[in-house]
Amino acid sequence: MVSGFFPRYGMPGGSFLKGMIDTSESILSRFSIEGKIGLCGIALILIVALFAPLLSAYPPDKITGNSLEPPGQKHLLGTDELGMDIWSQICYGARMSLVIGLVVALIAGIGGGILGILAGYLGGMADQLLMRTVDILMALPSFPLLIVISAFMGPSIVNVILVLILFSWAKPARIARAQTLAMKTNTYIIAAKNYGGTPFYILRQHILPEVLPILFVLILGITSYAIVAESGLAFLGLGDPTSKSWGMMLYYATSFKSIYFTPFWQWWLIPPLVALITLVTSLAFISRDLEQVLDPRLRQAGGV
Amino acid sequence: MNEKTRNTLIIRFVITLLVILAINFFLPRMMPGDPFSTTSSDVQGEDIVTMTEEQRQYFISYYGMDLPLHEQFFRYLANMAHGDFGQSIYYKIPVTSVILIHLPWTILIIFCATALSTAVGIILGLISARNRKKRSDRVMMTGLIAFSEIPSFLLGIILLLIFCVWLKLLPLAGAVTPFAHYAGVVDQALDIAHHAFLPVLTLALAQLTGVYLLTRNTLITVSSKDYIRTAYAKGLGERIVWTRHALRNALLPVVTRTGFMIGLMMGGAVLVETVFSYPGIGLTLRSAVVNRDYALIQGILLVTAVSILLCNLLVDQVYRKLDPRVSD
Repeated sequence: MVSGFFPRYGMPGGSFLKGMIDTSESILSRFSIEGKIGLCGIALILIVALFAPLLSAYPPDKITGNSLEPPGQKHLLGTDELGMDIWSQICYGARMSLVIGLVVALIAGIGGGILGILAGYLGGMADQLLMRTVDILMALPSFPLLIVISAFMGPSIVNVILVLILFSWAKPARIARAQTLAMKTNTYIIAAKNYGGTPFYILRQHILPEVLPILFVLILGITSYAIVAESGLAFLGLGDPTSKSWGMMLYYATSFKSIYFTPFWQWWLIPPLVALITLVTSLAFISRDLEQVLDPRLRQAGGV
Repeated sequence: MNEKTRNTLIIRFVITLLVILAINFFLPRMMPGDPFSTTSSDVQGEDIVTMTEEQRQYFISYYGMDLPLHEQFFRYLANMAHGDFGQSIYYKIPVTSVILIHLPWTILIIFCATALSTAVGIILGLISARNRKKRSDRVMMTGLIAFSEIPSFLLGIILLLIFCVWLKLLPLAGAVTPFAHYAGVVDQALDIAHHAFLPVLTLALAQLTGVYLLTRNTLITVSSKDYIRTAYAKGLGERIVWTRHALRNALLPVVTRTGFMIGLMMGGAVLVETVFSYPGIGLTLRSAVVNRDYALIQGILLVTAVSILLCNLLVDQVYRKLDPRVSD
């Protein structure tokens, strides 16, 4: 139970980051073929997102051509109904999806993780209160509520992010708490306490290094959830109309009357569809492999 | 069943319900403005009714909006208890009637999808577990896992493009052919099945891998148990041991999973129904959101939430009946 895959983190002086870099090579070699495909997919999308201004000849939100031009020399993937370049929208949309996914996942994963660790370590009323809140949150029908809350709060990226955070911190909190509870009774932690280790020292030196890898896998999962949820909300017409996310592209394309009776869907609907599926499946492949490499215990802890 | 666990379950149910009701009640009231201070209209040529301060006050007190907030909340709870969800602003009929028109379609596709994914998932899981450690198991598992990661509405769009746009085999939208005259009940049922096929398939495919993995993994755990060895020792054939002894015990977690699946599908149905323009409660929710029909949105949310909670409660009960060990 204790040993884990990162024994060096427990040692005094060994920082998590250093260990991360040391082990990243061995982790990579243990990846399956799907995992490597996933890494390539993510790398591709990251490049597209980072170098969006260089890769696209036109701004994504300016009319630069005729309406619904098919793919060709001037516009790589054609244009949409308003004459905006589809390839530029895909490039800038990658930024939107990644930013939303990462912001939600980092805040929910780290915030929920910290709450869970504290609740598990301190116990008592705070723990009870947190766990009851988590129970209720997990029993709520999240997607219908997401729709309603974003409908009432009005369409804006910040609101979408806030609502997504609200619905995704519960799982990391619960898992971090379970992990902390299981570790708290280990003899080496009790020993550290008896030698005068302050709670802060024990949390930082012993508990955090064990919980972090699990949180990392969860954060990847939440990233994927947030990206799908955002595109789902956008697809329903609840996204930020000024943003050019992939979900908004799907929304505009499918709300175009008689899109399925015209050839337009071939260059207007397919690109965001393929982009989203690539991103989500890549993330899933990576998190599956990481899960197996980093921590075989996750399954029991998470009950997935 | 233990008295204490039953009480905790019911208390949890009631608290969750109250939270949903509270969200439903307070969310619109936290928004700025009120229904009587409209100053612009989206409908062209519509006369904007500007009220005098006196008239506004009259309407506010008419709708009980000048009462203290907690009193309004109790009133709201009482109305909900009577099944009075208010009037739909868009359809101009009671919210309950709107929901009753559309709910059966959603129930139809969710029920069929649950049945389909459970049945196929169990069969595939059984095949995979029997061929464990062989190539076919590995291929099947990797394929299904990769597949399950595609969000249901994207899968829906793909299926729609393949079957309706490219092959032109299935209808693009709706639940029945408009203005159709049916020769008989069979004809009508066929038409409904024809329309429901893709939404059901999409929802079922999205849930298939969950059932499959659960069946496979539980079967593998169960197959190392003593009673399986005993069954083999008795001289029973492989087929009988797998279906009678192993599968029967492995199905217990699948039952729980089915309950959660219905909850997940309720969320997924909103998107899938939008993809296929299927006139269920999800599409109604979407149009209610587009039209800012707040009463309808709240009504649908409540119905969805309550049905998910009830499903979970029901599954819990069924599980206790099926597995006497849980009751202790």
